[in-house]
Amino acid sequence: MSNHPPKLADLFLGWFCRSELLEEIKGDLHECYGIEQAEKGTMRARWLYWYHVLHFLRPFAIKKKRQNSNLIIMYKSYFKFAFRNMTRHRLHSVMNLLSLSVGMACFVFVFIYVKTELSYDRFHTNADRVHRVVIDLIESDGNILPDATTPPALSVALKRDMPEVETAVRLFPGWGSKFLIGTSEEKKFYEEGLIRADSTFFDVFSFPFLYGNPETALDKPRQLVITRKAALKYFGREDVVGETLTIFSMNNARATISGVIEDIPDNSHFKFDFLTRLTFRGIDANWGWWNYYTYVKLNEGTNLENFNAKLPALYENARPGQDNYAPIYSQALTDIHLKSDLKWELGTNGNMSNIYIFSALGLFVLLISCINYLNLTVGHSLKRLKEIGLRKVFGAHRRSLISQFLIEALIMIILAVSMGTLLAEMLFRNLGDTLGKEVSVFTPDNLPALGAIALGGIVIGILAGLYPALHLSSFRVVNAVKGILNKNGKSAVSLRQVLLVLQFTISGIMIIGTLVVFKQLKHVQNADLGFDSEQVLVIDNASSVSNQQTLKAELSQLANVSEVGVSSGIIGGINWTTSLGYPDEILLNYVAVDPEFIDVMDFEMVAGRNFSKEIATDKQGFNIILNEQALKELGFSLEDVGKPQPIYLLNDTIRNGTVVGVLKDFHFTSFKSSIKPFGFFYREQTMDYMNVKLSTANLSGTLDQIEQTWNKVANGAPFEYFFLDENFSHLHEQESKLSEILTYLTILALFIAFVGMFAIANMTIRDKLKEIAIRKVLGASASRVSAMITRRFIGLVIIANLIGMPIAYLLMSRWLEGFVYHTSMDLLLFVAAIASTLLVAWMTVGSQSIKAALGSPVKSLRQD
Amino acid sequence: MKGTQLGEFEELVLLIIGVLYPNAYGLQIRIEIMEQTGRKVAIGAVHSALSRLQDKGFVKSALAEATHERGGRRKRLFQITAAGKDAMEKNHELRNSLWNKIPDMALKGLSYGGSV
Repeated sequence: MSNHPPKLADLFLGWFCRSELLEEIKGDLHECYGIEQAEKGTMRARWLYWYHVLHFLRPFAIKKKRQNSNLIIMYKSYFKFAFRNMTRHRLHSVMNLLSLSVGMACFVFVFIYVKTELSYDRFHTNADRVHRVVIDLIESDGNILPDATTPPALSVALKRDMPEVETAVRLFPGWGSKFLIGTSEEKKFYEEGLIRADSTFFDVFSFPFLYGNPETALDKPRQLVITRKAALKYFGREDVVGETLTIFSMNNARATISGVIEDIPDNSHFKFDFLTRLTFRGIDANWGWWNYYTYVKLNEGTNLENFNAKLPALYENARPGQDNYAPIYSQALTDIHLKSDLKWELGTNGNMSNIYIFSALGLFVLLISCINYLNLTVGHSLKRLKEIGLRKVFGAHRRSLISQFLIEALIMIILAVSMGTLLAEMLFRNLGDTLGKEVSVFTPDNLPALGAIALGGIVIGILAGLYPALHLSSFRVVNAVKGILNKNGKSAVSLRQVLLVLQFTISGIMIIGTLVVFKQLKHVQNADLGFDSEQVLVIDNASSVSNQQTLKAELSQLANVSEVGVSSGIIGGINWTTSLGYPDEILLNYVAVDPEFIDVMDFEMVAGRNFSKEIATDKQGFNIILNEQALKELGFSLEDVGKPQPIYLLNDTIRNGTVVGVLKDFHFTSFKSSIKPFGFFYREQTMDYMNVKLSTANLSGTLDQIEQTWNKVANGAPFEYFFLDENFSHLHEQESKLSEILTYLTILALFIAFVGMFAIANMTIRDKLKEIAIRKVLGASASRVSAMITRRFIGLVIIANLIGMPIAYLLMSRWLEGFVYHTSMDLLLFVAAIASTLLVAWMTVGSQSIKAALGSPVKSLRQD
Repeated sequence: MKGTQLGEFEELVLLIIGVLYPNAYGLQIRIEIMEQTGRKVAIGAVHSALSRLQDKGFVKSALAEATHERGGRRKRLFQITAAGKDAMEKNHELRNSLWNKIPDMALKGLSYGGSV
């Protein structure tokens, strides 16, 4: 073997090298190999052999394709004709290519986007065996409130009592708090992404380790696993196993870094930068704290139905004596991102119905552009009748005509797929912010997908090219040469019309859909929230200031600050929940605040009064301010305001409480759900959030002042803030995403339809040039001739709209039903849709028909 | 006559064919070039030059008898033709005449060692 040069290289040489030169070349190469092997060893010689073989890839040595092969000449001529046809009818080919590329772009865009969404959490080995167990909450009125959190004892019970469970892990996220972490006093940052978990974390999830051992990474309490990003941020290098970080906000705990993992991929439903051991005492038997997430890894071959069926019994046995048990069930890890929409999800989840909408739209736009292609090619080909006829006269078989047209179709498709892919990449670049993540077409993961798209494109191309090919090749020679269409021509025209109607139907539906989504978004954005979220600046690490009252007083002094209030939560962000009520308990959302907070938020007081610093009882017990919904659900009326009422049962004693004030209902969650009970308690204590109401729109100056004041009081803690209205807009993130993407897709679809109509109008007018000329000679005015042509197209568009509107109405009213607070579809929407499609039709056809009608009739009549 | 110009590498190959007479074939030419000039040359480059020389009519070639060392494959042996000789001479003369026309002053004191 070793005496023989690489066989593959020889084969390759034999493949490309001219046979008459092969003997001497091979001889030289082998002799050379022998010499070099002796001098430099087998390995080098083999490499050099390849080097020499590749050096023969020169024109003199490469086989010439046989010039006299019929097949090759034929194909060459096909390409040549395809090229000539494209350049001769430039307008037609550019339009065709543009509409096809745009269609492909939409398709690629949607395909890659949907693929990314579907890929969530699949990177874990055994992702199919990992499930999240959740328990819903039951409200007093029997309503079930789906909730992702569970008590910490659940995981212990699952591991103990369920043989199917291989291992389980609890996650305890930061719940909005920020951890001050640093290498030293000098280098510290606030970090949100800290999760506490059981030592089994890496048995369930498989985030790849760069350094450290996943088996032992969380064995000891004071161990910390960090991401590559965090390692670089604190140490400037990756291999930091053994280094320590101080977590200042956990009693200055010093944690040893036991592992560095890759950054959490975008397609993980929860993200973190720091992971440490869960060390709270007494949690293993605690069934009352609802702030843990429970994930289990089941044994292979576990029957999920049986597993789920056994969960309620486990839950009931663990807490005997309760009268109603909330539903407990498991969710597959890979379903969480798209199918789970519970309260307190760990991250912003996607939405399966958006996935369906996008997929449908992507396919629709692709369909429109394929129809376009079909329309344009068939229509255009009528112009090539003479060419076809002549080919037939010279003996072209039908088969060769078909393959000629197929090749033209393929060239078009290949160009369109490549342009479309680039366009899709541009779309992703532009929409990065909207999508909330970086998506790119050109990543290694997407290679198979791209291959599939290319292949799919080619299949579509063949299908779309087949009809014109079959149609064109079927003409009778004599008629074709004369340029006469027989009955086939008639059917082609009517098919064109049907396809045109279909195109505009789809465009019309998409326009209406986009408008409805847009209107709903506006409705939500402009809706009266029940309080004023504008110009409210929230300092979200207010608790890191030791003297909060000083800070508050100082800030209130500033000229552009009208009011400052503190709170333990944020309206539209984080709030607490408790059970309250007697005899029936309700689930009450609440935050602790001070009296100024109510003023900052500008709530509308329906009855009663605000809290007061002077009234001691306001600061403790059950003196509360409620919203109307809470008042109603607690069974109180406005007359009860200000009077003590039984409100809570604690250790068999009924406690009284007083509703001091009632606020008009306000929105603090997504508009998909109805307004829930909310209450405020007044406490004088250090709280997490300081809400600053600004009285000016001049932000930069005011911000500087606030920051200076902060720096005076805050003793070195960084100044962290956000604006309340920005935070609130997260609540309708899904809809704004949908609206923006829909707008893009609709514009593209309309563009394609526009191109299609333009080209078809162009062809129709050319077919009718003689008719137009004769009419003019007989005395018709230009405007009448133009109207005659335009009328036909307008008619088609109206038909399309009539078909599309009811479909759009049905689809969109179903979508709107998903919102408790939704806009209505009024006539204006439909008028707008029909008007815009008509405008497009009129612009495209009208301009061309006027041009045709104004032309001199002599020119068009002289031709024959 | 653009096609019959003798390139620098071609001239080198042509000279080597003369040097190696009558045993000039691809690999041998390559080895000789590498030894005489210290240049690294791929066999492909030599073959390519030979093919060009033959197209221009400067060399002729014939397949030699099969030998054992190349697995029975025959070598193609090259010889200079009259046209080749003519082209070489022209190049040589041109070079000599140009060389002689350079005034002594132009080259005075130009040398690598520095001490002339």
